[in-house]
Amino acid sequence: MNTDSLLVAFVTWFVLAFFVALNGGYLLLNLFSLRALYRKGQEAFIGELPRAYSGLEPPVSILVPAYNEEATIAASIRSMLQLTYAEFEIVVINDGSKDGTLDVLKREFALLPFPEAYRRQIATKEVRQIYRSTRYPNVRVIDKVNGGKADSLNAGINASRYPLFCGVDADSVLQRDSLAKVTEPFLRDPTVVATGGTVRVANGCEISGGFLTRVGLPRSPLALFQVVEYLRAFLFGRLGWSALNGMLIISGAFGIFRKDAVVLAGGYRPDTIGEDMELVVRMHRTLREKRQPYRIEFVPDPVCWTEAPEDLATLKNQRVRWQRGLAESLNANWGLMFSRNGGIPGWVAFPFMLFFEWLGPVIELGGYIFMFYAFLTGLVSWEAFGAFLFVALGLGILLSASGLMLEEMSFHLYPRGKQLLLLGLMVILENLGYRQLNTWWRLIGLWRWLVQKEASWGAMKRKGVGYDGQAQAAPPVAPGEPGEPPSGRPPGKAP
Amino acid sequence: MQASFLTPTGHSDIFISAAIWTGLAALLLTLLLGLQIIAMRIGLRRRRRGEARALARWRPVLNAAIVGEIPDTLPPLRHGERLPFLRLWAHLQGSLRGEANEALNEVARRAGIDVYARTLLARGARPARLLAALVLGHLHDRPSWPLLMRMAEVPDDTLSLTALWALVRVDPQAAADYMVPLFIQREDWALSLAAGILQQAGEPAGAALARHLPLLDATRLPRGLRIAEALHVTLPAGLLASALRSEAMPVVIAALRGVRTPETIADVRALLQHEDWQVRVQAARALGRVGERSDAERLVALLGDAQWWVRYRAAQALLELPALSRADLDALRASLTDRFAADMLSQAMAESEAG
Repeated sequence: MNTDSLLVAFVTWFVLAFFVALNGGYLLLNLFSLRALYRKGQEAFIGELPRAYSGLEPPVSILVPAYNEEATIAASIRSMLQLTYAEFEIVVINDGSKDGTLDVLKREFALLPFPEAYRRQIATKEVRQIYRSTRYPNVRVIDKVNGGKADSLNAGINASRYPLFCGVDADSVLQRDSLAKVTEPFLRDPTVVATGGTVRVANGCEISGGFLTRVGLPRSPLALFQVVEYLRAFLFGRLGWSALNGMLIISGAFGIFRKDAVVLAGGYRPDTIGEDMELVVRMHRTLREKRQPYRIEFVPDPVCWTEAPEDLATLKNQRVRWQRGLAESLNANWGLMFSRNGGIPGWVAFPFMLFFEWLGPVIELGGYIFMFYAFLTGLVSWEAFGAFLFVALGLGILLSASGLMLEEMSFHLYPRGKQLLLLGLMVILENLGYRQLNTWWRLIGLWRWLVQKEASWGAMKRKGVGYDGQAQAAPPVAPGEPGEPPSGRPPGKAP
Repeated sequence: MQASFLTPTGHSDIFISAAIWTGLAALLLTLLLGLQIIAMRIGLRRRRRGEARALARWRPVLNAAIVGEIPDTLPPLRHGERLPFLRLWAHLQGSLRGEANEALNEVARRAGIDVYARTLLARGARPARLLAALVLGHLHDRPSWPLLMRMAEVPDDTLSLTALWALVRVDPQAAADYMVPLFIQREDWALSLAAGILQQAGEPAGAALARHLPLLDATRLPRGLRIAEALHVTLPAGLLASALRSEAMPVVIAALRGVRTPETIADVRALLQHEDWQVRVQAARALGRVGERSDAERLVALLGDAQWWVRYRAAQALLELPALSRADLDALRASLTDRFAADMLSQAMAESEAG
């Protein structure tokens, strides 16, 4: 056996081992999720009983960063005002919008300037004015100089009154009981510092008055692929990590944090794209360094619905950003990896993310290209090539199918047989091109992170699942700005 | 020369075998998952149909009971109807108050639900035990007390807390005596949860807490005081004064939160200058509740504190003081030379006006 053959054999085995380890890791997470969902299912009827507030629930400040959101901001805030929770306030942060966002807010909520002694716990861009609604006493608006989403959230934290805050995307569609669901872990366990809930794809659903009234599936294959992807990412990705207290991501679209823990960690980093993931990783690092007992939990209930991109360009932009965000988050927190008190986050979750999610696209795509090239040039047999594809695709389909099973055993939100069949079909089809395309985009994201291209606010090209109906005119997109996702956070990528 | 297992003509080598077996395992598991999904969907549909039938029979009966028209003869509760019935019954119990609860209890007893729930509590699976504890709690079912006590001691938090809730419903006095020391001891249970259950016990919980607090050491006392605060228990002045003079900061902070009457005002005033800002915050709040007009000067001094929360609470406390009119506050604000102090007072006044 010569050197070339040895090299080919090594690479082939390495790629195969990578695919098996990656999927094996996720299958293991799947088992943890299965147990968690099973127990949750046993208690489901308690959650369905009428809720009586004892008055002891921790009040929550909902922070809504808004940049050029004049088309949807008023409807979003109105729907948030209808959330069922004992005590909450809404703090909208207008991040120097260039459109009429502030005027809309002033008009719709009868805002008046409020003489607030703004508390600067975390440094932010200048706050121009704070307004308070004369119509809704629990609504305030911070008007500030543009500084990005993270900077806006920091300003919101500074101005918030309550011990918990909830970061929400202005275009998220929330379940009416979302706050109650996601604050439950805080009530149960005093060491909980952050919780996140499941984000689902809103495309194809009916929305009225800012709330979801009927769950449906989108027609676009691209959006359908994302439905399966979100199931996989949330129901076993995050839930599995949460069971191990190793969850490194809480979606920016909806997450609740204990303010003191976030301030202790230094707040959101304004110079990152993936500010939500970076914060969670940093919280792990900080709290572990300080040896403070804590938990970061995931609530599998669907609490937030978001519009998924239906065109390739927007989707590509989203995925590129997510990968950059992941790279930034890990790069900024190397100290967590294999640290003395790192525990599961430092010794398992961080290395897993690093190897399989951060570096994964290189190996995955490299593996496909190598095997294809080796097959064409006769370096590997057609049997070996076929066997490789069989494993890579087979394991991928298995993972997607397990996501669908978790959905069926827990929430079964898609009641019709046809819907189940369609999702089953997507489970297979998404592995035949879509996931490989995603890997390519992630590779681009990695490259862009390496060359450090600038990050800024932007707007996603929306079809409009927004408010009162399905099809809505897309809100204006500021010229010259890149299309960007509604949330700066990946659904967590399974291979 | 190429490695034989990777040559175009190579076959049955380790790589291919490993890959094929892995792929086959994945395929087989996927098929099994598919079948499982279909089986779950069929099971769900069957269950829902059964539930719908049970509810169609029993909802009118329960609705009639709620409005005081309990039928003389109840339809027999079939085996398959029991769980849907219990769920509907528990749901209605949670939504209603007063006579309707008693009417529902009467229907349940006549249908033999109490006996069935006790069986579930003793021998059922976890979800059945949870449901049974809820039902027996609503029924104030005294015979299930020993079983509920046993369930309250299991390590599973959901089971134990549900059992504790049921115990409170069965016998508030006995449950309060049992639970107060337990809730103070179990620091892993969130305070709000513990207090939420104790709130259901009403007066007996307050009395049990008042008896138990003097027995606590400095490590347990803060939690006991916080529970007392959540239950709005007025603490004996002697106990409060001694806690306010404690060396342990958590005890002092918890005691300040419990100050509701002016007996300990001298101790509260002394704590306004404490080196720990969290003590100053709570002292300002306490003074807002029990202070006099003469305390305004002390609170004005705190408006210049380095800590935002101390300034904020001091400003709010000023607004709560008796006999300070709006004109007095305007004059006070105008007289402030410290910008931070003036800003904070402006904010508190604006908040107060906005409601």
